[in-house]
Amino acid sequence: MPNRLDPDFDYEAALQECAAGRRAALEALYRQEGPRLLGVAQRLLRDRAWAEDIVHDAFVKIWKQAGAFDASRGSGRGWVYSITRNLALNALRDTARETDVDDDAAAALDARHAIEAWHDTRDAFDWRASAGRMAPCLEELEPVRRNCVLHAYVEGLTHSEIAQRLGAPLGTVKAWIKRSLQALRECLA
Amino acid sequence: MNAPQDAYDDTDELAGEYVLGTLPADARRAVQTRMTHDAALRAAVARWEARLLPLTNLSSPVEPSASLWPRIVGTLDAAQAKGTAHARVQAHARGQAQTNTSAAPRSRPIGPPKPGLWDSLMFWRSVAVGGMAAVLILGSTLALRPASTPSAPQYVVVLVAPQSQAPGWVVQAQAGQSAVQLVPIAATEVPPDRALEFWTKADGWAGPVSLGLIKPGEPVVIPLDKLPPLEPNQLFELTLEPKTGSPIGKPTGPIQFIGRAVKML
Repeated sequence: MPNRLDPDFDYEAALQECAAGRRAALEALYRQEGPRLLGVAQRLLRDRAWAEDIVHDAFVKIWKQAGAFDASRGSGRGWVYSITRNLALNALRDTARETDVDDDAAAALDARHAIEAWHDTRDAFDWRASAGRMAPCLEELEPVRRNCVLHAYVEGLTHSEIAQRLGAPLGTVKAWIKRSLQALRECLA
Repeated sequence: MNAPQDAYDDTDELAGEYVLGTLPADARRAVQTRMTHDAALRAAVARWEARLLPLTNLSSPVEPSASLWPRIVGTLDAAQAKGTAHARVQAHARGQAQTNTSAAPRSRPIGPPKPGLWDSLMFWRSVAVGGMAAVLILGSTLALRPASTPSAPQYVVVLVAPQSQAPGWVVQAQAGQSAVQLVPIAATEVPPDRALEFWTKADGWAGPVSLGLIKPGEPVVIPLDKLPPLEPNQLFELTLEPKTGSPIGKPTGPIQFIGRAVKML
């Protein structure tokens, strides 16, 4: 599989090489993470061409800013993903179309649908196999709250969009996410 | 329970929502600006990025198209060659703030909002796809066209809808001639109190220039006599504007169709 990660890939060394102007290091990083970064961007943006634009911008940025990477602040791999996710989320939010429902509209959504969603214990994501060290902490969250977190992080949905998706009031979704983040922070401490 | 603890929680909560991605555009930018001078927020964001990183595994890998890596190399080469690397990267990355090496490298601050249509990613994406659509449509239109003067390069622009990429209009132009023909190839819905305004911008122009209001569904010839000759890659778009056109001389409404000039061989 061309997408398989090389578990021994040294991200910090690759970034150092990039900072020193060695293109081969950027290309190695691209071969290592390009498909995964594109997958992350495409899931957020729901558009292949747009996602490729973001990955293009991300690698240009990685090349230019590799010298500013500070290994004492976090992993090289995390840095690369943060650059890509931030570019994608900025693009997504900056071009947001005026489709968000406001508080009133969200609260007025069909009650039966809302009740169904609240009691929904199904998982919207297949997270157990892939969430790694986060899996036990995700396990502790109620499924609907876990879905909120994953809809946001993986799919880039806003509070309003999640409220629409789940048929739950906007305020409830905000509270679920806030408490889920607190729970995750404690669990992952 | 005490105040410092609360303050820490607020920062951490904001950082968590930022990394999760739920903040709207203005709040995202506020966080990115604040990170340039707020070490606590920067550290909180870094912790959240590390915590949530495993969730990136939930997105399946997507094999990039074969042209993506050459495109990255091309951008780096162009930046290097012209010695304006910094400016180009900034332009391309759209509103990214000046490199601030004192800031956390994991999350770049972003500059003030620049929601201009002409530097939006959506715009560039559309233009790229429009170019591909042009190639596809050219195949069908070429066969129907009488042979033209071989020495005069001809340009075609396929204007596509930004979201659906559905082609809506074709612009045809003879290089050296001072007019373009705008031909509808699909129905365009325009609200009764709005109008379609046609714009163009070549590389190096400060901003788009209005080519006037367009009636949906009707072919029209538009004089370009006050403009420089058409260039390859010149951009064209139709935006939704007030009935009498944009009041400020540049696009104010949403892009309906967009594309860039492709030279026919």
